[in-house]
Amino acid sequence: MPIKSFSKLWSSIWKYFLFILMSFVIFAGISFPIVDVPKNWYEFPNIPGLGENAKIIFFHVSTAWISVIAFLMSTIFSIKFLRKKDLDDDVKAVTSAELGLVFCILATVTGAVWAKFAWGEFWSWDPRQSSIFALLLIYGALFALRSAIENDEKRAQLSSVYSIIAFVTVPFFVFIMPRIMKGLHPGSADDSTSGPVVNFKMNSNMYLIFMLTLVAFTLLYIWLWQLGVKSGKLKNKVLL
Amino acid sequence: MDGLYHFFENNSIYVVLTISLIVWFGIFFYLKKLDKRLEKLNNSIKEVSNE
Repeated sequence: MPIKSFSKLWSSIWKYFLFILMSFVIFAGISFPIVDVPKNWYEFPNIPGLGENAKIIFFHVSTAWISVIAFLMSTIFSIKFLRKKDLDDDVKAVTSAELGLVFCILATVTGAVWAKFAWGEFWSWDPRQSSIFALLLIYGALFALRSAIENDEKRAQLSSVYSIIAFVTVPFFVFIMPRIMKGLHPGSADDSTSGPVVNFKMNSNMYLIFMLTLVAFTLLYIWLWQLGVKSGKLKNKVLL
Repeated sequence: MDGLYHFFENNSIYVVLTISLIVWFGIFFYLKKLDKRLEKLNNSIKEVSNE
């Protein structure tokens, strides 16, 4: 089989694989029952204080995961742009940053809805909530910066530099600050003592579904990114 | 049909599941269509620039 038609076939196959995988994780994440003592492979353990709310982990954590991956990819392509000055790399970087921001907003909103039922308030300036808010401002400013510059080259150059600097804050705001400060979110410094928060102990089946959800969301991100890049490149072709 | 209705009435989580799946199917097929449209547009731009 010629390489071109194989790559065309493959580009279709993985999307149908994503369709099946995402359908399965939605099905499993929503409908698999939570029981006190799981006996069957399709049962999840009951997490005290959370009950059915624990199922948010499949969708909320995945959106937060994608935002980190997207911001990382944006930084990688920004570095590539600064080295080679190819506007296609700028398109790749900005598309990834856009997706990162969208998934970051989704993580904030899903987290706030969950917080209402777990902590009693939509927003309580928990370190995790404060840090994601700071991230939204930082990456929101990237698009304000881009919209203020008309020259394509200059816009790409400045936004690449900004994107690299912005990503330096991501590990601090996502992985460090919420873990060293006391808070309500699972994984905070005082996790075992505060509020109705949980020591998140998934059984192996729940963990497997969680991992499959991460894979499904990552594939979805790749697809959305490809679409964004394609349309951005077309725009450049038509306008330049 | 009546049995299915009563099942959904008594197990509302499956109503949530059905709605979520319908939303996902809609998003998937829209993305697939968008993908094809962009590919076609890309090919026609290539053809025009080659001419």
